[in-house]
Amino acid sequence: MPVTKILTAGIGEANLRDINVYRERGGYKQWERAVRELTPNDVFEACDKSGLRGRGGAGFPTGRKWSFLPKDVFPRYLVCNCDEAEPGTFKDHMLLEETPHLVLEGILLGAYGINCHHAFIYIRGEFKRGYEIFMKALDEARAAGLVGKNLFDKGYDLEVTVHRGAGAYICGEETGLLNSLEGKRGEPRLKPPFPAIAGLYGAPTVVNNVETLAYLVPILERGADWFAAAGTERSKGYKIVSISGHVQKPGNYEVPVGTTIRELIEIAGGLRPGRTFMAVQPGGGSSACIFEEHLDYPYDYESMAKAGSMMGSGAFTVFDDTTDFVKAAFNLIRFYTHESCGQCTPCREGGSWLERVLHRFVEGRGLRSDLEMIRRVGHAITGLNLCALGDSIEPFLLSVFNRFPDQFEARLLKETVQA
Amino acid sequence: MSTTGEQLVKLTIDGVPVEVPKGTLLVEAAKTVKQEIPVYCYHTKLGPAGLCRVCLVEIVGQPKLQIACNTVVAEGMVVNTRNEKVDAGRGMILELLLVNHPLDCPICDKGGECDLQDYAMAYGRGSSDVADPKQSKPKGVDLGPTIVLDEERCVVCQRCVRFDDIIADERQLIVKDRGHHDIIATATDAPYRHHFTGNVTEICPVGALTSKTYRFKSRPWDLNRTQTTCTQCAVGCQQFSDVRLGTVLRTMSVEHDDRYSDSWLCDRGRYNIGFYTSPERITQPLYRKGGTFVQIGWDDAFLIWARELRAAGANAGAIGGGRLLNEEAYLLQHVFRAIGVRNLDWRGGRQRQASPGKSGGDYASLERANAIVVAGSSSPAELAPVMWLRAIKAKRNGAQIYHVTENDAAKTIASIAPDARIAIVWDGVDLVLGKSVADAASGRSVVAYIASEQPNARGAEAMGMLPIDGGMDGAMMFDAARGGKLAALSLFGVNPVRNAADPDTVRAALSATNFVMVSELFMTETAQLAQLVLPAKGAFEKSGTTVNITGDLLAVNASLESPTGPLSDLEMLIGLAQQFDLTLPTIEELDAAVIARSQSAFTGTFGDALYHSGASRHAQDGRSLEPRTLWDGGGTAAHDERVVALLRETVEA
Repeated sequence: MPVTKILTAGIGEANLRDINVYRERGGYKQWERAVRELTPNDVFEACDKSGLRGRGGAGFPTGRKWSFLPKDVFPRYLVCNCDEAEPGTFKDHMLLEETPHLVLEGILLGAYGINCHHAFIYIRGEFKRGYEIFMKALDEARAAGLVGKNLFDKGYDLEVTVHRGAGAYICGEETGLLNSLEGKRGEPRLKPPFPAIAGLYGAPTVVNNVETLAYLVPILERGADWFAAAGTERSKGYKIVSISGHVQKPGNYEVPVGTTIRELIEIAGGLRPGRTFMAVQPGGGSSACIFEEHLDYPYDYESMAKAGSMMGSGAFTVFDDTTDFVKAAFNLIRFYTHESCGQCTPCREGGSWLERVLHRFVEGRGLRSDLEMIRRVGHAITGLNLCALGDSIEPFLLSVFNRFPDQFEARLLKETVQA
Repeated sequence: MSTTGEQLVKLTIDGVPVEVPKGTLLVEAAKTVKQEIPVYCYHTKLGPAGLCRVCLVEIVGQPKLQIACNTVVAEGMVVNTRNEKVDAGRGMILELLLVNHPLDCPICDKGGECDLQDYAMAYGRGSSDVADPKQSKPKGVDLGPTIVLDEERCVVCQRCVRFDDIIADERQLIVKDRGHHDIIATATDAPYRHHFTGNVTEICPVGALTSKTYRFKSRPWDLNRTQTTCTQCAVGCQQFSDVRLGTVLRTMSVEHDDRYSDSWLCDRGRYNIGFYTSPERITQPLYRKGGTFVQIGWDDAFLIWARELRAAGANAGAIGGGRLLNEEAYLLQHVFRAIGVRNLDWRGGRQRQASPGKSGGDYASLERANAIVVAGSSSPAELAPVMWLRAIKAKRNGAQIYHVTENDAAKTIASIAPDARIAIVWDGVDLVLGKSVADAASGRSVVAYIASEQPNARGAEAMGMLPIDGGMDGAMMFDAARGGKLAALSLFGVNPVRNAADPDTVRAALSATNFVMVSELFMTETAQLAQLVLPAKGAFEKSGTTVNITGDLLAVNASLESPTGPLSDLEMLIGLAQQFDLTLPTIEELDAAVIARSQSAFTGTFGDALYHSGASRHAQDGRSLEPRTLWDGGGTAAHDERVVALLRETVEA
């Protein structure tokens, strides 16, 4: 089984929340080396060469994202996105709670890599425990001279500000996050301009996921080539996959990108005895389901796209033959409708409309005309939205609607069926 | 579309090659091929928001439909604004907007001028797959003193919220709750109240935000629309007066009025219209007999007025003009000078100058200022509200605003960086302070905006309602009257008992004067002390011109029949002239005189006595001397046929 321990190394074995334990295991060595020996460009080169891609969901190459910052425009900011709220994802808050210094070191390296002097971490409101743990870690690091002014006497200043959100899925969208961080209503901004040009407080800004930034630590330690050696041709390195659903040992598993779907299910203990595999939602609540024919697909960005879905944030939910897909779809749509900021029409109106219709199906009161409506509206609202939330409403629904039409037909009003 | 010096971009819209300035948004570029792209959240003055998603267009080469409101034109871009794919996308948006929108068009005020109706007709499906009840939200929400809100009709375009932030700089309106529970509300639940609230009812693309004054009153197609200049203050906003059955039901902004109103109206200009039909209006001349007023006819009124003026001779005075039209102010000074009266002034209160001389600028210059000095204690947001919106724009662009006392104005200007473009906003300038500011401004870029307390103060000054030939000014007249040295005083549209700094001295002055004539719409504090009260017409009931803060001659067009009884001040002055057998100017001569005088505005600097109007304005400051009359065809008394007839009659007689 190709389970690896890189970011997850030591978790469950040592008290990594203690800065001394973390440092004994080699922690903050890369941070010290970066400030003492490397230029920001060296860090950028390592990140770029490693092929690291955003682990928050979109999978955008991290080095390229950094390269969009306009040269010589200051101040600029790094924002660490720890609003992890994608249904099925639970890797970032594990890192935050179990190895907060690694998260911090990743942020420090990222900030140095884009040559900024102020970094932010936006922590989801519900992560109270993680927030407290991280605050303590930050205090320890500051006391140890790892954060603050004139670091390692090299004249480099770096401050880190922690911001707790109030618990909204939309604040994980990077511009919604920036608005919320600025104290505004958490709703996505119209793009362009993109954050790299005008982000936090109008300054050039990079927003990176917790896991993305954390991988900078091993990349600097072991080299970009080491990271790039793992994974598939265009999806390099490792990934923490949050496996949940109908498996025997759900949890976070760190694997090389490209591990197959079948292997991932095995890693998580396989299906319960006597159950049949029906589907897996491989990239969080926003992704479409993939099915039996995809079991041997490698779990990477390209293959998942080819299968009609996405790798997303690495939330991997398995469904066996006990699944009520109508209920599951309703559950997800209710979530997206609840979390829609309401700014743009397709997401606001389309989501609530589909929710009402599916609610009737759950109650066995679906109409035959609804079937056509689900297909038509679900398809049409995608691609018309201001941000990705609206485009996330339909994938799961339509994938299971098309695959298991009988489950939906069975929920039609009896009279309608006869007519 | 383009002006020289701008970089142009070539693109193709619906097969038509067009060239537009670099940076133009597609939604604006499409207008060059006369193609209207539907919008809800986008507004020319508010910019793109990208929320409603209805402005979809196809850009050849891009797989997904794009929103035209936030897409900047690019060289070689090929855009289709109407085809099957685009119409289907827009249709989907309309279908979604109508999922929860109530179909109460028959009782909705917006019906007939509603963007949702119009676009649903253009792109909608005509039928619906919605099988569930519509969402219910609060209806008839009392948002504040001016507005009632129907949350169910709201399409959450956020135009109102963005207007409140970007244009009015108030940030009272917010979107509350989230998703499809979104509602519009004030941030603190306090009533929505500021100088510009009414604009949100106009930019609301649906019937969500409705004016209390217009709600359930009319359908748009039943309204008789007249474009005029608002005369509630001196900004000169162009507005539509919408009349039905003898009542102004609403006033609306004029979309392309970039020069004056920037397409906004203040609440005073928009809502202060109900008084025309007030039962308290005076409709017949009133003459004081003993302690009480008796109603008399106009013939007797003219006889009495003329008799008293004859008895007073040169020992009489007239105050007025700031609330009159130019034609009236001109005739006022013309008639009184002809009968030998030299004591003429428009100022019933403070003796301030309303014309900034050559230091005056247009509103675009105010918008471009780096520093705005507001001198004195009066609030420009109240005196000239819509002009203040330009200052808010300047502030958004980084301008500093200084609120200082009048005495500190010169000092403040001197403290501002020498290369700054400075605008000074004042409610009137006196000789001493004006001189000090003029000295401080010497050699620098300073433009002045005088928001006087009377809307046509500048016009009155230009028409000659000033003691330019040795007479007493307003303050001196009251002083003389208090000493019993003034035999007759004629007051036109001024209420010094209410507005003067010291009402008691004015009251004493009026009581000590043998004969006081007041021309008014209502029984004001001043009118109550008069011997003769003449019922006057209001601005919506007469035509002529006015001069605004920037010195432009603007047309006022009658939109309303006055009730039987009142005459315009012009008609009153003609009646008076008849009593003296005066020869009056013909209508053409009157027009010519008004235009000539308004153009040869006072060209001195602040603090120069206004009485020596010198060469025409352009000769001194190099500006062109085109007739500064807006809206061709308008602009003179000739547009009010009743006045024309009356004038002809008088002249021929």
